[in-house]
Amino acid sequence: MVDDADPNNREEPLLRTEGIVKTFPGVEALSDVSFSLYPGEVHSVVGENGAGKSTFIKILSGALQPDSGTIYSDAQEFSHLDPHKSQDLGIQVIYQENILVPSMSVAENIFVGHEKTGSFGLINYNRTIQEAKELIDSLGINLDPKTKVEQLGVVDKQFVKVLKAIALESRVIIMDEPVAALPPEDTEKILTLVRDLKRKGISVIYISHKLEDVLGISDRITVLKDGELVNVHDLSEEEVGEDLISREMVGRPVEKFYKREKSEIGDVLFRVEELRRFKSSPTVDLEVREGEILGIAGLANAGRTELVRTIFGAENYEKGKFEYKGKRVKIFSPKDAISTGIGLIPEDRRVSGLASGLSVSENITIADLDKLGNFFLDLDQEKEFVQKHVDQLEIKTPHLEQEVRFLSGGNQQKVVLARWLFANVDLLIFDEPTRGIDVNTKAEIYKIMHGLAKEGKAIIMVSSEMPELISMSDRVLVMKEDSVVAELTGEDITEEEIVSHAV
Amino acid sequence: MRFKSLFKNQTFFLFVVILLLSIAAGLINPRFFTLQNFLSILKQSSVLGILSMSMALLLISGSIDLSIGAMMGLGAVISCTMVMSGFNIVLAILAGFFTPVVGSLVNGVIVSWNKSVPPLIITLGMSFVYSGLSLVVSGGQFLSMRGKFYFLGGGEVGGIPVPVIVLVVIVTAVHVLLKYTKYGRRVVAMGGNEELAFLSGIETRRYEVFNFLISGCLVGLASMVLVSRLGSVVAGVGSGYELRALAAAIIGGVTFEGGRGTVFGTLLGVLLLGVISNGMNILNVSSYYQDVVSGLIIVVAVIVSSIGAWSR
Repeated sequence: MVDDADPNNREEPLLRTEGIVKTFPGVEALSDVSFSLYPGEVHSVVGENGAGKSTFIKILSGALQPDSGTIYSDAQEFSHLDPHKSQDLGIQVIYQENILVPSMSVAENIFVGHEKTGSFGLINYNRTIQEAKELIDSLGINLDPKTKVEQLGVVDKQFVKVLKAIALESRVIIMDEPVAALPPEDTEKILTLVRDLKRKGISVIYISHKLEDVLGISDRITVLKDGELVNVHDLSEEEVGEDLISREMVGRPVEKFYKREKSEIGDVLFRVEELRRFKSSPTVDLEVREGEILGIAGLANAGRTELVRTIFGAENYEKGKFEYKGKRVKIFSPKDAISTGIGLIPEDRRVSGLASGLSVSENITIADLDKLGNFFLDLDQEKEFVQKHVDQLEIKTPHLEQEVRFLSGGNQQKVVLARWLFANVDLLIFDEPTRGIDVNTKAEIYKIMHGLAKEGKAIIMVSSEMPELISMSDRVLVMKEDSVVAELTGEDITEEEIVSHAV
Repeated sequence: MRFKSLFKNQTFFLFVVILLLSIAAGLINPRFFTLQNFLSILKQSSVLGILSMSMALLLISGSIDLSIGAMMGLGAVISCTMVMSGFNIVLAILAGFFTPVVGSLVNGVIVSWNKSVPPLIITLGMSFVYSGLSLVVSGGQFLSMRGKFYFLGGGEVGGIPVPVIVLVVIVTAVHVLLKYTKYGRRVVAMGGNEELAFLSGIETRRYEVFNFLISGCLVGLASMVLVSRLGSVVAGVGSGYELRALAAAIIGGVTFEGGRGTVFGTLLGVLLLGVISNGMNILNVSSYYQDVVSGLIIVVAVIVSSIGAWSR
């Protein structure tokens, strides 16, 4: 390893691994990974899905045991850690999953398991709140310790998880994709938090797909690919760009902007007139043409998801008219929308895009079972149809009966997409089409979207990712406070233009 | 199904357990291994079997009905009361059958109309309503069918008891419904993820009500088999059946979360309970101990099979 070349120049690393190897049946998840973390350092680990990031974290948190290799901490040597040992060493992982008790207050959550007690071993609420407040203030966040966690937003919940880790006197906080589900404004709050942790002398191992964030906060970046260590960059010593990192992650040059050749734009396919969600809300008009990709930009609470869900019939609305291929249509439910020829790929796959316990087949055909018979289903025909779409979209699944929860995020997204190809809709609404998807699959999804537009389908794409909006859209509507505030076309579709209208 | 995954398959595992228990019972008392005894196990399991199909159907759709036992009892009580009051037997049977159908429909309407209270709570409350109504109708009296309507529960066709035939027909029908029809597929998807089902164009409320209606028909049928088998009932005759049906379904691999489980698994769950109770009868285990033992076996079976599910 190179980073210990000049140990006199730096303090001792807080945590160090050498030659970590971990194999699962059939795959080498990690081969010979060495890593070090200094006090107060932000060290990011990047790599594609399957690069071994999660396995590496699990070895540090003691959830997995390496086959070989050594972990050093506090001048001690370990062949492996267990969860207890790992916590004793001051290592805490902040997972995406909710580990908080919704019905308890922020302060109570912070001290779960080591409650602040007073006489007779009873919980001292004043002390609990006082100490929670001190912790919150020390990080300079705005949070009331008495608020119930269920009333908090996603970011604040992340804060509470971190506070909980600090209360346990952690020295190393591992954050696994902390901003994956967050809109850009909230992402900034998390990044500020990471910087504050660093200022407090706490080391952070930061895992993220978002290279821009990673470059903004890291002292060093470790790049993994297929379980192997590709490179360790020290940002104080070298100039590192996103393109270099992504090239190392993928093993070949990657374009940040997908180069999409525009397809021929035809007649108006779908038109929304004077759509008003509530009595008091502004009206929205929009139209989308055959072969067109219409981007919808805006901040997280600008009403973009609500707008597309309303168009899809999933939300009630006050008034509004819809026109499809020049004819007036009524849309009061997703059923109406689907039979009109509209499909929605929702923002959150796990919550509303998939039935994770059902098979690939069942998930693909569910929106148009009429195609498979009037009362009885033709299962052979189903298999044929599904196989066709699985091949076409290159969905990686061992067999068609596989439960979708075992597929990767990208393949799950393709299953949702296949559902609408099977239902043969003409207007596809994508809400955040590539959220939580790795670089390679992202490019595949773009290619599919482009192919659909070329076939003459219309696409509405809600997105918070600028490169995606800019490179994919023929036209962009910018939304703010439930209304469309700007329409951008051609050369005007730039980050500056979009942002200036969105805020 | 691949051979390797066979061992991790809960239904297969259950089959093995039933086989082992049967062998054990048969070794201790050879009388267990007679055709007569097998038919009698099936016959004793028929009412619970039909009721468990209703429970499985609801669980798989992501719902539940804890009042099916009480509704079954109410149906039986109403039939008997009508016979004793001199009504026509056909009328009495129809009334007894349709009571759970209507009750179930009421449950379904309340459950689908009110999305904030879980069906577990609503149907728990309704179970008190239905069992209370049984007391009201029967006046706490011991009721009898006066020897009428024997065929459904006690008759035989070609040596096979009629309730067994009914059970086989119902199991097959529910299996076909869930596996091979559009309706069934939609119900399974609803149980797997209701929001997804809604966004896939399924009118979830309508399907939920309709599913309760089907469930009610099964309960009505179970009620008539029960009253025909017993010939006489008291108000509390159905109590506890809902929990045994729930146990059978869960043992068979159906989950509380919905979207999962099979009809045949549930049937094996029913048979496991049947074999345990029959085996203990044959081995002369005191009936007081029987509940203790069958309870323990249920818990062990569920734990062991859930370990199998984790290890995937």
